[in-house]
Order: sequence, then structure tokens, then C-alpha cells
Amino acid sequence: MTRTRIVGWSIGLLFLLVGDARAAERTRVLMLHAFNYSFPATSVIAEAARKRLAEHSKLVEIDAEFLDLARNTDEAHSLRTATFIRDKYGKHPPDLVITLGSNALPFVIKYRDMLPDVPVVFASISPQTYAALRPPPEMTGIITSFDLARTLSLAEQLQPEARRLFVIAGSGETDRRWQPIARKMIEERGGKFETTFLFELPYSELVAELSKVPNDAIVILLSVFADAEGKAFVPAQVAADLSALSPAPVYGPYDTFIGNGVVGGFVETFESVGVAAAEMAIEIMEGADPATLTPRTNPAQHYRVDYRAMQRWDLKEKDLPPDTLVLFKKPTIWDEYRGTVLAALSVLGLQTAFLGALLIQRRRRQRVEELLKDSEERMTFAAAAANIGLWQFDRDTDKLWVTEHCRALFGLPSDAPLTREAFLATVHPDDLETANRSIRRTSRTERPSASDVRIVLPSGDLRWIRMRARSFTEGNGEPKQLGGIFVDITDQKSAEAETALQRLEIEHLMRVSVLGELSGSIAHEVNQPLTAILSNAQAALHLLAQNSPALAEIREALEDIVHEDNRAGEVIHRLRSLLKKGERKMESININDLVRSTISLLNSELIGRDISVRLDLESSVLLARGDSVQLQQVLLNLVMNSMDAMASTPMNRRSIVISTRGAKTGMVDVLVRDRGHGIRPEANGRLFEPFYTTKDHGLGLGLSLCSTIVKTHQGKLTLINAEGGGAVAAFSLPVHQLSRGST
Amino acid sequence: MTDTFTVYLVDDDPGVLKALSRLLQAKGYVVKPFSSPQVFLEEHDAAVPGCAVLDVSMPGLDGLEIQRVLTAASGYHRPVMFITGKGDIPTSVRAMKAGAIDFLTKPVKDKDLFEAVSRAKARDAESRRFHSEMESVQAKLSNLTPREREVFTHVVAGRLNKQIAGDLGTVEKTIKVHRSRMMEKLGIRTVADLVRMAEKLNLSK
Repeated sequence: MTRTRIVGWSIGLLFLLVGDARAAERTRVLMLHAFNYSFPATSVIAEAARKRLAEHSKLVEIDAEFLDLARNTDEAHSLRTATFIRDKYGKHPPDLVITLGSNALPFVIKYRDMLPDVPVVFASISPQTYAALRPPPEMTGIITSFDLARTLSLAEQLQPEARRLFVIAGSGETDRRWQPIARKMIEERGGKFETTFLFELPYSELVAELSKVPNDAIVILLSVFADAEGKAFVPAQVAADLSALSPAPVYGPYDTFIGNGVVGGFVETFESVGVAAAEMAIEIMEGADPATLTPRTNPAQHYRVDYRAMQRWDLKEKDLPPDTLVLFKKPTIWDEYRGTVLAALSVLGLQTAFLGALLIQRRRRQRVEELLKDSEERMTFAAAAANIGLWQFDRDTDKLWVTEHCRALFGLPSDAPLTREAFLATVHPDDLETANRSIRRTSRTERPSASDVRIVLPSGDLRWIRMRARSFTEGNGEPKQLGGIFVDITDQKSAEAETALQRLEIEHLMRVSVLGELSGSIAHEVNQPLTAILSNAQAALHLLAQNSPALAEIREALEDIVHEDNRAGEVIHRLRSLLKKGERKMESININDLVRSTISLLNSELIGRDISVRLDLESSVLLARGDSVQLQQVLLNLVMNSMDAMASTPMNRRSIVISTRGAKTGMVDVLVRDRGHGIRPEANGRLFEPFYTTKDHGLGLGLSLCSTIVKTHQGKLTLINAEGGGAVAAFSLPVHQLSRGST
Repeated sequence: MTDTFTVYLVDDDPGVLKALSRLLQAKGYVVKPFSSPQVFLEEHDAAVPGCAVLDVSMPGLDGLEIQRVLTAASGYHRPVMFITGKGDIPTSVRAMKAGAIDFLTKPVKDKDLFEAVSRAKARDAESRRFHSEMESVQAKLSNLTPREREVFTHVVAGRLNKQIAGDLGTVEKTIKVHRSRMMEKLGIRTVADLVRMAEKLNLSK
């Protein structure tokens, strides 16, 4: 409370002190208007000056007197007026007088005694007037000077391409003052413009000349107070008339031309004159000696242009010199409310940006969605065209996604739900385990898997579907998604089956052909037991015919008959199986037994060809998995090749060694070594080609078939030359099971 | 050493070997079976009467080779017959040319086999008889003096005593003495017997 009051008091005291000080500094300015108060030019100057002074100090008092010298040119009026001012201001003369209008200055000079010693600041005095008046030193002010060069430079900037210049001046006193100024200025420019001076012309002729001006020229109107015929004109009106008809832009040095159709020029404004005069007044009021202040040219001259005129001649605002005042331009919202607009715009802009960002994001998302959709459609279409169904299975949700084509692939009706169960229901019961196993296996690893299953179509037909699957790991490494394709491979399967059938056919034909070659020897193999049987039987008969038959011997004979019959039966069985057509039968095969039984078929052939055979068999039982007939065929072929290869080998050197080895690599090796001519260089590398043969009577299918058979047993067939002559044919098969045992 | 007719049976097939042995034994033959031709050749005794029944096709030595070896070794014609699973003509021709008794194809009928074996037995007996005759003739010839052997040669050639004496540079009487001694030593009475004996000797050469 107390504190507030003390502050209040202090402020009050301060105001009193300041008020007192300002009263002491109060300044009085008397404005002397040459004309009456309605004369616009001086009014504008006075108002501008008053504003400037008020800005400078609130303690400036302004008085104004209107001399009205234009309407009252008689000496008595002047004297009366001067007396009036002396009477009115004599006792308390103003601190400063500002004269407005050129006639006011001579009046002040003439009646200097009405306000002696008061400094005078004049405005709007032409240099010529100033020179003629020779005012005393305490009178200073603003001299108006036209800068024609800068008016021209404005034109040049707005019309940089212009090369022709037309300069207009009338025949009046002022007009003629302009003419040398203009010539001099253009001369100083050098030969830049092709200049036409339209001076001293009758007005009609001037109009005619001007209308022929090319539209890319520059026209400068100086002043036309009178034409060559002595007709008087108002320059501002002339400016309006000539601008209206000129094809090219018109420029001028006068403020008054602007607004009357002229583009513009470097002109002084009445406001600027007022401000300039006020500035000088302020300097004097602050203690400057007016005698030391020389008159100034109004520094505040401006480029001024009429926006409407610029538009008419299609001149660009951007080409204007800096600080050009553009008049008659309808101010834009931007110009008028720049700040507000900026703020609003920035808010709007932010909102727009935000909205835009949202829109862009949305659009982008839509686009991505569209792209995804397109991509998916394309993929689905392409997959369907390729007869492929796509599927994906989410282990978490137990949801299955499939393409529509899967429906056709699996023969599901169009209204059936595409669930995992629906698909599994179509699988052939025998293949259900395969399908489930494949899915389980894929779930565990990331390795892609493929399995072929049969499905039963509604018609009852079978269709082979290859299911390729792969799991996708997500984050924690646990596979969550399973995905893959379904392909109809029925055609492939039937082609495979056909091929397999044809191969079996060929294999069979080859076996028949081999057995045909061996027929004599095989007949012998059957004939031997037959011989034994017959002899035993006849022996038994003879024994029986004796008086005291040796029954024990007869029994033995009969037993031998049974044995020999079995022996013959075995040969025939082997023969039949080799001659039989049939599918492959995978079984466990004792490789050593295979070698022995094969050799037994070849026994008499080997004897017949004087070839000795040595078996070097692994002591343990070697088991491989395969088809015994096919493998016997391979061995048969290899041994027969060895036999053929030794046709020209000396008899005592003809030998074949057949070895079996259970290599530690998990393979069973069977080697057939001969001492024949070996692989001839020209045959090397071609031995496994179908229809390639080195034999006179060969088909060239033996080794090719053998190779195929061994390959289908996951094995490998090789044929190389042996050290010391001959060849070694070897095939290796995966060990089915290796059990240690006696020979 | 027995004089019993023995059938030497060689076949690499044990079943066949056993059956044929049994058959021949049932007929009453003594059979020596061999599954290996080499073993047979090693154990073969030409002095034992008998015949060889050989399989043509055997590893190592085939039947025809055994036949050749047998002949070359003893100079004695052991009757040989062949049994074969493949009765091809060239082989049988070769075998027969080499003096085989028969060439039988398996399975062998007992009749054919017995007939062949009995022929072989007869041939063997004849051959053996002839062989022993020759042996005694040879023994008698070895008792002759060189002069007596010369006289033997001339007599067989049909020369008269006088001519022989002239050839040998002696008198007819001396020739007569040598001739009677030679006849006596050889146990021959007529010139015709002497000529027949000479023929036999020639055959065996």
C-alpha cells in the first residue's frame, strides 16, 4: 500500500519536472504558403513537413499563413499581408519560417523586416529561381532538380531491348529549357540509342509522329507548355493524351505525369520536399547556423511508376530499380496484411504440410497397397497360368492361405472352404504320411523340402502333386510361417513311368540278348545235372535189377537225383528271372552270393573260352540294397566284356579276377579285372555312350545300361585300364547293412 | 597192380562224375573217377587194363588234350571215349580221328555208354594181347646173334639160302645152320609164320 503510493508520487513529480523542461524548449514554426490553403502541392508539402516535425518533437508549434500571391498579384496586397504578419508575430516572432511555393521566397526576401533574423527554410525552388533571387545566407532550403538521366535509366531497365528513343518537348519557355538538357544527357550516353527529338512541332504533327513510333521504343515526354504554333497546353494533360496514343511506353520527369498514363520516371514528390524542408528546419532548431547550411537538392527523389501503365505495355515489376514506388497498384492482401497473412499462411502452411504429409503417407500406403495387390494379382495369375498353386500356413493361427488355383488343382468344389483339412482329405491314404512328414520336417528346419503325393480327384482319378515347402523364421528364430507351392506333376510322373518302362524294356532286351549269346553255355549248365540225373536213375535201375539190390546205393542215387534236379531248377530259375520282364524289386542282396551265382551261369562259357576265374571275395557278408536281377545283369555284362576282351590273349594268360570289398567308405565295391586288350584310346570317354561299341556284334547298350542301373542304385560304375594290362571294371553300391560274420 | 578192367572216368562236374561212376559200377565195372584231368594223368597206369571216359570241356586240360598226352606218354593205345555237353562236329571228328572209341553226348544213355565201354574193353584186350605177343617176339629177337638177325631179315625178304650166302659172303651151309638156329630161337617152324611175325613187328614200329 505505502509502497504503491510512494511510486505514484514519484511518477507525478517526474511528470512535473519534465513538463517544465519542455515548456522551456517549445519551438514555433511559421509556414508561409504562396497560395491559398486549397493549393494541393503546397498543402501536401506543408503536411509532410508538419508530420516530420511532429515526429521530431511534440513541442513544435506550427502556425500557417496563406499569402495568396497567385490570385492577388498587386503590391498593396503584398504590403498588407506583410504588415499583418509583422503585427501578428512581431512581439513573439517564430523560431523559424518555412516558405511553400516559389513565390513565397521573394515575398519573404522583400519584406525581410517583418520578421527580422528569423531563419527561413524554403521549398520547391528551381535552381534557376534560386540563382536569380540570391537570398541572404540565413535563408536556406530545398532546390528541386530534375535528374533526366535517371528517368532514362528507369526506361532502360524496364525495356533492356529498346534501341530507339523518342524525346518530346514543346515550344514554351520551360520546354525550351529542357531541350539542351535532354540533348546533352543523350550525348553523354554515347551512341546507345537511335534518338529522334520531337521538339518544336505543331501539336498535330507531334501526335502523327508519335503514333508511328515502334512499340519497342522508349518515349520521354519532357514538357509541352506550348506547341510550335504558339498554342498553350497543360503539360499533365498533354502527358495523358500522348500516352493514350503512343505505341511505346512513355516516361517523364514530372510527378504530375504519373497517374495520367505515363509509365513513370525519376521524380521528386511533394511529400519528400516537405520532409526534406522539415529536416533542415530541425537542424536549425537544434542550433545549426542557417548560414552554414547550403541549399540542398531534394535528396528524396524516387523512381515512381504507374502500375496500370506498366501493365498496359507489359513491363515487368521485377525489372524496376530497388525502392521504386509503384503507384495505382491494387494492393494485394499480401501487401496489406503481410504479417497477418504470413502468420496465417505459416499456420495454414503447417496445417497443409501436416495434412499433405498425412495425405502423402496415406497415398503412399494406398499406392503400396495397390502395388502389393497388383503384385499379388500378377503373381497369382502367373502361378495359375503355370498351373502352380501358392500356399502359406501360419503356425500360430493355424490359418492356411492359398490361391484360388489350388481349388482346381485339388479338385475342391467351389463352395468348399480352403482349409488344411480340406486339402489333406484329398490326399491318397497311402501318401498321407508322406505329406505330414514333409510338413513336420520343413517346420523344423529352414531347408526347403519337396514331396510328391497323390491326390484323389472327385472323379476317382489320381493326380500327382508336388508340394514344395519352406519355413520362414521370424525374429526369435522359431519358424512360424510355412509357405510354398503346389504343382501338378502328373504328366511328369507318367512320363517318368513311361521312361522307366522303356528302360526296363531295353534292359530286358539286353538280358535276353546276353542270354542268347550264352545259350550254349547255359544249356550245358542245365545239361550237367540232367546228365547226372539220368545216370543216377539208370544206375538205380541196374542196381534194382540185381539179385540182391544194394539199397543203400540206390537211396544215394535217388538222393543225388533230387540234388541234381534242384541244381537244374536253380539254373532255370536264374534264367527265368533274367528273362522275366518286371518292375524293379528292391531287396537286401548278398553281394558275394550275387557274384557266385553269376559266375555259375557263366561257368561253361568261361571253360569254353579257356578263361580261368578267380574269386577274391570279402570275408564278411556284404549287403547292398537293390534289384538282384539288375545287378546280376551288370555283373554278367562286365564279365562278358572281360571275356570278349581276352579273345586274342594267349590261353595261358586268360584270367578274370572278381573281387568284392566292403570299403570303409560305406560302399560295397565289386571289381572285375581281366588281362585283355584294355580300353583302347579311341574308346576312352565314350564307353558309356549308348550305341557306342567296339565289338563286331555289339549293340553298344551294355555299359550304358549298366551305368544307368548302377546309378539308380545310388552307385557308380567305372572302367579303367589296369596296371600291367587289361581293364578293371568296378561298381560301388551303398552298403545296406554290414554284419560281421564267417565266410 | 591188378589185371581187372578199370574205367578211368574224368569229369570236372562232381555230380556227373558221381552219377556216371555209379552207373558203371552198377554194371559191374571197376571205376576210377577223377574230377581233375591233371590228377588223372599223374595217377594213370598204362599197365592196368581199362579205358578212359573223358569229358571234353574241362578247365585246364580238355579231353582231346588228355588223349594226346596218354598216347604220347606210353606208346600204348589206351581206349578213350568222350562224353560232351556240346556235341559239336569239329570236336567229334578230331576225337574220332585220334582214335577215340566213341563220342557220346550228355545226357548219356546207359546202353550207349555200356556198349562203348564194352567195345573199349575188347579193344583193350586185343591191344593188350597183341602187345604181349610183340613183347615175346621182341624178347626172342633179342636172343638172336647179329648173324642170325641178318639171316632173319633176308629170309623174311624172300631170299633163298644160296642167295643169302652170296650176299653175306659165306657158303650156303653156314646159312642153313644160322637159319635153323634162328627158327629154333624164335620158336617158329615155317617161313610163313616167320613172315607174319615180321609183319607184326613192322606194324608196331
